[in-house]
Amino acid sequence: MTTPFTALIADDEEAPRAQLVAALRTAWPELAIVAEAVNGVDAWDAFLEHEPAVCFLDIRMPGLNGIEVAERIGGRAQVVFVTAFGDHALAAFDAGAVDYVLKPVDSERLAQAVARVRARLERDTPAPDLQGLLKQLASQIQRPAPAEVIQAGIGREVRLIRVDEVVYFESDARYTRVVHEGGEALIRTPLKELLAQLDTQRFWQVHRSVIVNHRHIAAAVRVDENNMQLTLRDRPEKLPVSRHFQGRFRGQ
Amino acid sequence: MNPDRIDWSQVWYSGPTRVFSDAELARAGDERPSRTLAVTVLINLAIIGQAVLQWAPSAITAQLTALLIGIAAAGLTQAKALWRQPTRRSLTLRTLVAAGLFVLFALGFKWRVDDPLLRGWLIGTAGVATLMLYLALWFVTVYRSHQIASRLRELDEHERALAMARQLAAAQIQPHFIFNTLAALQHWVDTGDARAAPLLTSLTGYLRATLPLFDRAQLTLGEEVDAVRRYLEVMQARLGARLHFEIAIEPPLQPLPLPPGLLLTLVENAVEHGVQPSLHGAELHLRAQRAADGQVAIDVTDSGVGLPAAVTEGLGLRNSRERLRQVFGDAAHLSLQRRPEGGTLARITLPWNPS
Repeated sequence: MTTPFTALIADDEEAPRAQLVAALRTAWPELAIVAEAVNGVDAWDAFLEHEPAVCFLDIRMPGLNGIEVAERIGGRAQVVFVTAFGDHALAAFDAGAVDYVLKPVDSERLAQAVARVRARLERDTPAPDLQGLLKQLASQIQRPAPAEVIQAGIGREVRLIRVDEVVYFESDARYTRVVHEGGEALIRTPLKELLAQLDTQRFWQVHRSVIVNHRHIAAAVRVDENNMQLTLRDRPEKLPVSRHFQGRFRGQ
Repeated sequence: MNPDRIDWSQVWYSGPTRVFSDAELARAGDERPSRTLAVTVLINLAIIGQAVLQWAPSAITAQLTALLIGIAAAGLTQAKALWRQPTRRSLTLRTLVAAGLFVLFALGFKWRVDDPLLRGWLIGTAGVATLMLYLALWFVTVYRSHQIASRLRELDEHERALAMARQLAAAQIQPHFIFNTLAALQHWVDTGDARAAPLLTSLTGYLRATLPLFDRAQLTLGEEVDAVRRYLEVMQARLGARLHFEIAIEPPLQPLPLPPGLLLTLVENAVEHGVQPSLHGAELHLRAQRAADGQVAIDVTDSGVGLPAAVTEGLGLRNSRERLRQVFGDAAHLSLQRRPEGGTLARITLPWNPS
C-alpha cells in the first residue's frame, strides 16, 4: 500500500470546516487530513510544517486570506478554494479554471473537484500555475498599513523597537525573539502572526521559524544538497533557510 | 442661478448659456418635434402669407410670395439646426446673417423698385417676417435647451434611484452571509448538534425582520435594532468566542425614525471588516443615547482590525449618507473613524424631538 495523500483544511468557522472534513471522508476516504487551520496564518504555518499534497482553503480568513495563503504556497501543493456563493473571486476562478467548492459543500461537486485533484496527483502533474491570477486577486485586498513599531515588554517597561532596526525574528518556544540593531527582546506575538503584519518586501521569511530583514543578509551559503544558511552583515550567527524558501536565493 | 443677479450679456447676446456636449446630446436622445407642431406651424404660415397677399397690391404678388416662401423655408432649416444644438452662439450667428440678408434685400428693393408704395410693402413685409423669424428661432432655442436639460436631469434622477435600489437590494440579499450560515446549519443538523435549533430561530428572525425592511421609507430605531440583534445572534453562533456584542439603547429612543437598513449595514460592516478579519476576535457595541445638546448619537463600535485608510470614505458610506439626508436633511451626520485603541467607530448623530 502506498502512503496516502495528505491534506490541510483551513476555514475560520468551525462548522463549515467540520462539514468539509466529514464530506471529504466520504468523497476521498484514503486522504489523510494532517492539519486543520482556523485562520490564514495558521494555515500557512501548518503548510510549512506538514507540506501537504492538497490544501482546501477558505477565502475569507483572518490574518492572511485564502488567496494570500495560496499565493505563498505557490504551486507546491494542489489548492482547492472553499467559499460561499457571492464571493467576488468566483468570476475569476471560473475564468481561470481554478478548483473550488461552494459552501455548504455539496457531495457531488466535491466529488468532481476531488477527482480532478486526484488525477493530477496520481499522474504527478504539477498544480496549475495560478500565480498571475492570485497576484491580481491579492492586489485588490485592502490591508491596514504594515507595522512600523514593535512593542516589547522588558521587565516593567515597554520598549518600542522600530521595525527598520530589526535584523531578524525567530520563534522561541512560546515567544518570538526580536533581534535588532540595539539588542534583543522577547515578544508574545507568535511569529506566524507577525508575518501578516510585516512588509513582505522588506522582511523575508526564510524558515518556518525565521523572518529576516533582507537589508541585513550578507550571503546565502549552500551547505549540502538540502541545507542552506544565511550569513548576516555585522553579526556572527547563521540563519537556516528551509527547502521551501531556497528558491529565493538563486543568483542572477 | 441666483435670480437677483442680472446677466447683462443676455441683453446683447441672448439665449441659453448652457452648451451641451455631444455625449449629453446623445444621452438626451434626438426627440423630434411632433408632426402636429410642424403642421400647425405650416398652416399658420400659410394663413399669414394669404392675409399679406390679400392686402398687398396685386402688382407684387409674385415677388411677395417668393419672399415669404423663401423666409419660411430658411426659417425652418435654421430652426432644425438649432433644435439639434440649441446654443446662443448658434442663435446669434443665425440672427446676424438674417439681419444682414434683410439689409441687402432692403437696399436691393430701394434700387430696383421705383414705386414707393410697392417698395414699402416689400421692405415692410421682409422686415416683419425677419423679426418674426428671429422670435421663432429664439423660442425654439430656449425651449429645446430647457427640454434637453430637464431630460438629462430626469435621466440622472432615474439612474440615482436605480443605483440606490441596487444598493438596497445588495444590502438586503447577502448571499455570502446566507450561504455561510446555511453551511453551519447544515453541519449541525447532520451531526445532531444542539446549536442548530437556536441558529435556525435567529436566522428566521433575521430574515423576517430584514425582508420587509426595504419596502418602507422609514423604520423606527426599535425595529431596526431588532434586525441587528438577530443578525448578531447568527454571527455569534457562527463565530463563537470570536464575537462579543452588547446592545444598549435608551428606551425613549425606540420610536426614533431611521432610513431602513442603515444601522444594519453599519453593523454588518463592523463584523465583516472589523471582527471577522481579526485573529483573536473582537467586541462590538451598539449604543444609542441622547446627548446633552438634544442630539441623538448612535454608535457602532468594534475593537477589530480597523479600517484600511481607503475604506473610511467608501461608496457605501456615501450612499448611507445620502439616505440619511433624505430623512433628516443636512442635520444628520454619519462619520467613520479609526479608534486610537484599535478598531472602528461609526457614529450617526441627528436631531430628534419627539412631540
